[in-house]
Amino acid sequence: MTEVLPVFQYVEPDTLAAAINALQADPTAMLCAGGTDLMVHLRKGLSEAGTVIHLDRIKDLNTLEYTKTGLRIGAGVSLAEIARNKVIAEHYSAIADAANCVAGPSHREVATLGGNLCLDTRCVYYNQSHWWRKSNNFCLKYRGDTCHVAPQGNRCRAAFSGELAPALIAHEAELEIAGPAGTRRVALNDFYREDGAAHLRLEHGEIVVAAFVPSNGASSIYRKIAVRGAIDFPLAGVAVACNKVNDATTFTIAITGTNSRPLLIDFDKKLATDTDVDSFFMSMEKQVQKSVSPQRTTTIAPHYRRLSAAALSVRLAKSLL
Amino acid sequence: MTANTRNSIVGTPVPLVDGIEKVTGKALYTADLDSRGAFVGRILRASVSHGRIIRVDVSKAESLDGVIAVITGQDCDKTYGVIPIAMNEYPMARDKIRYRGEPIAAVAAVDAQTAACALELINLEIEELPVCYTPAESRAPNAPLLHDNKPGNLEREVHHSFGDVVNGFASSDLICKETFNCAEINHAQMEPHAALAEYEPERDRLTLHSVTQVPFYVHLMLARCLDMDSSRIRVIKPFVGGGFGARTETLNFEIIAALLARKTGGKIIIHLSREETFLTHRGRPNTQVKLKLGMTKAGKITAVECEVVMNGGAYAGYGLVTILYAGALLQGIYDISNIKYDGYRVYTNQPPCGAMRGHGTVDVRHAFECMLDRMSRALNLDPFAVRHINLLQFPTFTSNGLMVNSYGLGECLDKVERASNWAKRKGKLSKGRGLGMACSHYVSGAAKPVHWTGEPHAVVSMKLDFDGSVTVLTGASDIGQGSTTIVALAAAEVMSIDLGRVRVVTNDSAITPKDNGSYSSRVTFMVGNAAIEAAKALREKLVIAAAELLDVPLDDVECENETFFVNGSSQSELLFQDVVIAALAKEGTITVKGTFSTPIEAQGGKHRGGAVGSTMGFSYAAQVVEVSVDDVTGQVTVEQVWAALDCGYAINPLAVEGQIEGSVWMGMGQGLCEETHYIDGLPAHANFTDYRFPTITESPPIDVQIVESIDPLGPFGAKEAGEGALSGFPPALVNAVADAIGMDVNFLPVTPDRVLEALIKFRRANRRAKKLEAMT
Repeated sequence: MTEVLPVFQYVEPDTLAAAINALQADPTAMLCAGGTDLMVHLRKGLSEAGTVIHLDRIKDLNTLEYTKTGLRIGAGVSLAEIARNKVIAEHYSAIADAANCVAGPSHREVATLGGNLCLDTRCVYYNQSHWWRKSNNFCLKYRGDTCHVAPQGNRCRAAFSGELAPALIAHEAELEIAGPAGTRRVALNDFYREDGAAHLRLEHGEIVVAAFVPSNGASSIYRKIAVRGAIDFPLAGVAVACNKVNDATTFTIAITGTNSRPLLIDFDKKLATDTDVDSFFMSMEKQVQKSVSPQRTTTIAPHYRRLSAAALSVRLAKSLL
Repeated sequence: MTANTRNSIVGTPVPLVDGIEKVTGKALYTADLDSRGAFVGRILRASVSHGRIIRVDVSKAESLDGVIAVITGQDCDKTYGVIPIAMNEYPMARDKIRYRGEPIAAVAAVDAQTAACALELINLEIEELPVCYTPAESRAPNAPLLHDNKPGNLEREVHHSFGDVVNGFASSDLICKETFNCAEINHAQMEPHAALAEYEPERDRLTLHSVTQVPFYVHLMLARCLDMDSSRIRVIKPFVGGGFGARTETLNFEIIAALLARKTGGKIIIHLSREETFLTHRGRPNTQVKLKLGMTKAGKITAVECEVVMNGGAYAGYGLVTILYAGALLQGIYDISNIKYDGYRVYTNQPPCGAMRGHGTVDVRHAFECMLDRMSRALNLDPFAVRHINLLQFPTFTSNGLMVNSYGLGECLDKVERASNWAKRKGKLSKGRGLGMACSHYVSGAAKPVHWTGEPHAVVSMKLDFDGSVTVLTGASDIGQGSTTIVALAAAEVMSIDLGRVRVVTNDSAITPKDNGSYSSRVTFMVGNAAIEAAKALREKLVIAAAELLDVPLDDVECENETFFVNGSSQSELLFQDVVIAALAKEGTITVKGTFSTPIEAQGGKHRGGAVGSTMGFSYAAQVVEVSVDDVTGQVTVEQVWAALDCGYAINPLAVEGQIEGSVWMGMGQGLCEETHYIDGLPAHANFTDYRFPTITESPPIDVQIVESIDPLGPFGAKEAGEGALSGFPPALVNAVADAIGMDVNFLPVTPDRVLEALIKFRRANRRAKKLEAMT
């Protein structure tokens, strides 16, 4: 590779506290677990990290437990381990599906839950080399003042493309976050912001420690829209969870890839025995189409992403019946 | 050279002789070579698509600590290129910039960090000019001119007419006309570009190691651009991680590395990033094909009218050859005499296109085979039957002067029809599944060379010495296709010796004979024949020595499995080593040479541009593709492929199978998902996440069959095997999609978003048609 890494200090703390201290000591410090996105990011000149803090040694981040209250997945657990886990495959299939969809097998062995939940937003004008972006006068997200996707607007439109997030959101997951002020819990759905340049509600100095997923007996599934069967980020990724309560079925639909944050679709209609099935799913499809707002952040037309996300939502929901 | 029915090693599957180095990691590619003491070279690339260079100020860069040298367009006033009449590109832009990414300057520094900083310190003053990104823009009346001597931004216009096209259409029962649009693609070879150049000031000598497919052309261009005597230049090609045409011409960074080496008086290593490799480009251009075919109701093609417009990018390169190939290979596959071809190679402000596997012929073959399928349907004929009706009688010369001495297309068709169970299954697959077929062909080398010097097309030398080993010396560039193995096999076969006794030394201009390079699939045919001639010459020396030892006439001496004996006699066997000693006793170290030249009749028609398409023989292929289409997401999945290729003779069936699979697979990439995408001339695709070639999850089982038509002039009867099957895949895919969902598409690649959009329009049109029908 020709793109040179910035000169940075590399530290490997043993504890969360040490990692938090390292973050506080350097406002440009960045966290690294698998590094599958970070290293590309740094080589492209998208950040000037003065310190890279490797999280591998911190035991708190690496455990995966299942109790009767639910699932606790450490932020440092690899996607491959999540994909292989039998409990997750049986009780939280969307999460296993999503973990199995990311990139390729070699990425998944080192990529982590935390890294994927905190994945940087992506855009065809942003994920380019320094030369490319400089030739294009940079962009609103980094070193420029215009969003090339929506030049009339005032915010970054880069798309969130992490695949674990919708699956976890569909299962009502919560995050545990550690920081200088202690530990806090937040619903995963509240962890994100619809702003491509500031999509995580995470202060510098904070570290995502684990995700908690309650047991609620929902069945679920995750699939993605992509041109290829591997490597591609999702053009749209759809997680659907299905709950059956007293002959009434409800669906929770969460979508990634179309907005600057993973999107929980507002669709609380119930499918009961007397519901007209066709019009139920037609209104689900229309609701998804209305809710997502894909932009020209990829070379594939946004309209395709809208239509296919909605069609896939219906297909997945039907498969859970 | 006809096939020897007692072939001992050719015709059997042999792992490539350099396979061990590759799979163990021992193989040294350009970036692996010893770069100790080398300075790091980096290239400054243009940020605008079209502009006049007012000033390039390198003073701040030059004075940065750790910067050894900086060069600009002022350091080389010679253009370079591959076609002698079309060299309009400078290694670094001089007065004008014509595409974003074009090299403007280069630095040599002590390390990569310093080099990167130095680039930022070079100040440019550019007067921006209006841009053209499409042929339509470039050919518009007041379009800005990219090259002052090319009005209308046309690099080349071709107008060919053969037979009687008007009468041909008049005698047809069905005429169809359609326009196809094929996206620009890139070779995406695994190894990014790199060059290692060393200049010795004391001796005024330059050595270049590079990723090239054509060390000879690079050598010529280095001499030209550095204004150096070619005897002081040495070009060495190490292992190369794929070419496919990306490296079929001298590339700007090779000359830049040499210039930097000379200016620093030392060693320079240049590694291009994947993005820079994409910017260097030389890929298959975006091509629009307008095709009109006439057909009788029995399925016989009566006339062809074809117009091709290619978006060639900013410089000439191979452009005129590409636009000629597009028309030339309308012929040579079916029996058609009435052909009108008009081709336009257009300049735009984008990275220059070049040669890519199938060079110029792929998009036209795509249009043609799609049309044949649609017309077959319209006439209620089976597409296989239509191909059979149009097969050539051979031997023959086509109406554009192309020679056909062997032709196994009929057998290819039969093989894939049977293997895919076409007759029983076509039209009877489950919903959303379809079968499609197509044919294709390609040349076994251009029979007329780029430089008409009178030299043979190929020279191979061989050396035999005291240790009893046979060394084959060849300039043939192995880029992974197995040319080194071919010459070793030729030596082993003709001399009847163990393959382990043979070594091959390749691609060092100080040591090996010149070879034109690996392009247009010339190597097996031309270098293979030269190797056979050299081996025969060496064998003869040994036979003479053996005859003397055995005291028998020459004709009575046989050689098999490293043993010389008298024909018909079981006594008096001589071991190889003893015969070698006797032969050496006469003259010492034995060196021989074999050559190959193309006969004049193979060199194409007399019309302008008639040399392009000329060849010693075509490979032929037929394939069937089975797809399933998801009509909700537009996703097309290739379920299985059956392919058969007539390669004349499979010298190494293992390698031939690999080449067929690779050709099909690369055609699949173009068919399913590969395309470049520019945003105001900036490449949005310049990495392997965004430039999508198929992954293993998309890769279907490919059933491969080899057909051997035994070409009378090919080495052991062989023709090429590396490109023939490629251009059959995209049309077979599109035809399969049509079979699956009843919809024809005229675009490549067949990506899900395009399919879905087309489906929506198609269904809407059908609904309207039904409504209309219901009303009337």
